[in-house]
Amino acid sequence: MMQEVLRLQNLQKSFGNVRALKNASLTLKEGEVVALLGDNGAGKSTLIKAISGVFPIDRGDIYVRGEKVSIRSTREAMDLGIETIHQDTSLAPDLSIARNLFLGREPVNLKWLGVFAPLDLAKLRDAASALLKRVGISKKLDADALVSTLSGGERQSIAISRAMQFAAKVIILDEPTNNLGVEETHGVLRFVKEMREAGHSVLLITHNIHHVFEVADRIIVMRRGEIVAEQTVADTDLLTVESLITGADLSALMKRAQ
Amino acid sequence: MRSPQFSSFVILVVLLVVFGIADSNFLSPLNISNMMAFLPELGIIALGMTLLLTAGEFDLSVGAVFGLAPVVVMLLVQNAGVDIGVALLAGLLLCIAIGAINGVIVTKIGISSFLVTLSMLLIVRGAALYITQGFPLKSWDQPGFFVTLLAGSFNIGAFRFYTSLWWFIGLSLLAVYILRYAKLGNWISAIGSNRNAAVARGVPADAVKIWLFILTSVLAGLAGMISAFRISAASPVAGTGYELEVIAMVVVGGTALTGGRGTILGTIVGALMLRAIRNGIVLVGVPGLAYNIFVGVIILAMLILHALLQKNAARS
Ligand SMILES: Nc1ncnc2c1ncn2[C@@H]1O[C@H](COP(=O)(O)OP(=O)(O)OP(=O)(O)O)[C@@H](O)[C@H]1O
Ligand SMILES: [Mg+2]
Repeated sequence: MMQEVLRLQNLQKSFGNVRALKNASLTLKEGEVVALLGDNGAGKSTLIKAISGVFPIDRGDIYVRGEKVSIRSTREAMDLGIETIHQDTSLAPDLSIARNLFLGREPVNLKWLGVFAPLDLAKLRDAASALLKRVGISKKLDADALVSTLSGGERQSIAISRAMQFAAKVIILDEPTNNLGVEETHGVLRFVKEMREAGHSVLLITHNIHHVFEVADRIIVMRRGEIVAEQTVADTDLLTVESLITGADLSALMKRAQ
Repeated sequence: MRSPQFSSFVILVVLLVVFGIADSNFLSPLNISNMMAFLPELGIIALGMTLLLTAGEFDLSVGAVFGLAPVVVMLLVQNAGVDIGVALLAGLLLCIAIGAINGVIVTKIGISSFLVTLSMLLIVRGAALYITQGFPLKSWDQPGFFVTLLAGSFNIGAFRFYTSLWWFIGLSLLAVYILRYAKLGNWISAIGSNRNAAVARGVPADAVKIWLFILTSVLAGLAGMISAFRISAASPVAGTGYELEVIAMVVVGGTALTGGRGTILGTIVGALMLRAIRNGIVLVGVPGLAYNIFVGVIILAMLILHALLQKNAARS
C-alpha cells in the first residue's frame, strides 16, 4: 500500500460572493500522478493556490504525511515539500535564468548576514548549468541569460526544472503544457513520468485529456467549486471523462446516436 | 557596452567636456568643490530611490522629509533645549515612522505608491510649514561631533570637500553590494520584475518594500540634516521639488520606472549628470529662468536614448 502524502479535507474558499471552493477533499499518494480536471472557473487554480500558500483557506484541513498542517505562506508550503508551478506567474523576466532557478532559496556565503549575505555566484551558476543539462535544455540556454529573452516554452521548462531541483514531495503543475510546442509538451510529460518513477507525487491540472491518459494514474473532476468524480485511469475512458467535466452525459448521447 | 549606465556615462563625459570647453571655470577647483558639496545631498536620496524603484515603487515625499527632519531637530535643540544627539534620534524615528506609514499603506491596503506618497508629501510639507509658521529657523552654528560627522569639511590641495562625500561614497558601495551581490538584491529585483512570482517562491515582498520605504525616508532625512548643518540653517521649504529631481537622476541612470531593472552605478552617473547640467548651464550663461527648459530637454533626450537602446537590444 502506497503511503499517503497529502490529504485535503473539506476545503472551502470564497472570494466575496463567489464560492470558488465548496467542501473539496482529496488525497494524493506517494509516487502517484493525479490529474485535476474541470472547466474554466471550476476552482482548480483556487484549490492548488490554497495548498501552496498563496492565500489562506476559509475552512477545512490539510494533512501532509498524515500530520495536520496549516499553510500560511508560500514559504511554509515549500518547506513542507510542496512545489507549485502556477498557471499565470512563475518567473521574474528581468532576472537571469540562474537567479530565477534559485529565487527564494539562494546559495549564499556568510549565512549569518541573513538577507544581506552575499550570493555564492559560482555555485549559483554551476548548479544552474547542471540543472539545465539534466532537463536537456542546456545546449540552447545560457544560465546567465535574462528570462525576458526566452520563449514561452523555454520559460515553462525553466519553471519546471526549478521544481525538480528541490526534490519536492509534491509537485503541482497548473496547465504546464499551455502555449507549448510539440517537443516541449513531450518534455513536460516525460518530466511528470520521471517524477513518478523517482517517487514524487504529482498533481497535474490540464485541459488536455489526451495528456491525462498518457501520464495520470487517477483523475479527479471539479465542477463549480466541488469535486464531482474520482476515477482511476485504467477504469475509465475519454468520453466518460469529458461528460464528467461538462456535466452532460455525452456517452449516453453517443449511444443514442448509434 | 549597450547597457544604459554605460551610455549615460558616455554622455556625462561629453557634457563635462563641452561645459569645460565652453567655460574654463567649470573644471576649476572651486567649481568642482561646489558641485561635490551639493552632489551627496540629492545623491544619497537617489540611492534609496533606486532600490525602491527597482522593487517597483516610488516615493514622492522625500523632498518634504528632507525639509521636515532638520526643522524638527533644530526646533528641539533651539526651542526645547534638547541635546543634539537626542534631537537627531527623534528625527531618525520620525523618518522611520513616515517611511513605515508609506510602506504599510502601499503594501497592506494596496494603494499605489504614487498616491500614497503624494499625500504624504502634502502632510509632511504642511507639517514643516505649520510648526515653523512658515519661517526659516534662526541660524544655528554650534560645531560639535554630529556637525563634523555630517557636514565637516577638509581640503585636498586646492579642493575643499565635505564629509558628506564620504557618506555618499560609503552608502553607494553598500547599495551596489546589496543590489548586485546580496540575497536581498535578488529579492528586490524579483519583486519589481514580477511580484507574484517572487511571492510564490517565498520572498517576503511586502516586508522588503516596507523596509525600502523606511530606508528611503531615512536617507532623505539624513540628506536634509547634512544640508542644514552645512548651511547652518533649517528652512521649512528646503527640498521643494527634490522628489522629481531625484527620480530624474535615477531614471536618467538607466533604472526602469516600471521596476525590476535597477543600477546604482547608473544612478551615481545620473546624479553627477544632473549636478553638472545645473551647474554648467548657469556658467555658460543660459539665463537663470530658462534653465529648467534645458534640464528638461536633456533628461528627455536621455530617456529617449535608453528606450531606443532597449528596443535595439530586444531586436538583436
Ligand atoms: N482572486 C480572486 N478574486 C475573486 N474571484 C476569484 C479569484 N480567483 C478566482 N476567482 C473566481 O473563482 C472561481 C474559480 O477560479 P479558478 O481560477 O480556481 O478556476 P480554474 O478552475 O483554475 O479555471 P481555468 O481552467 O480557467 O484556469 C472563478 O469563478 C473565478 O472567477
Ligand atoms: Mg486555473
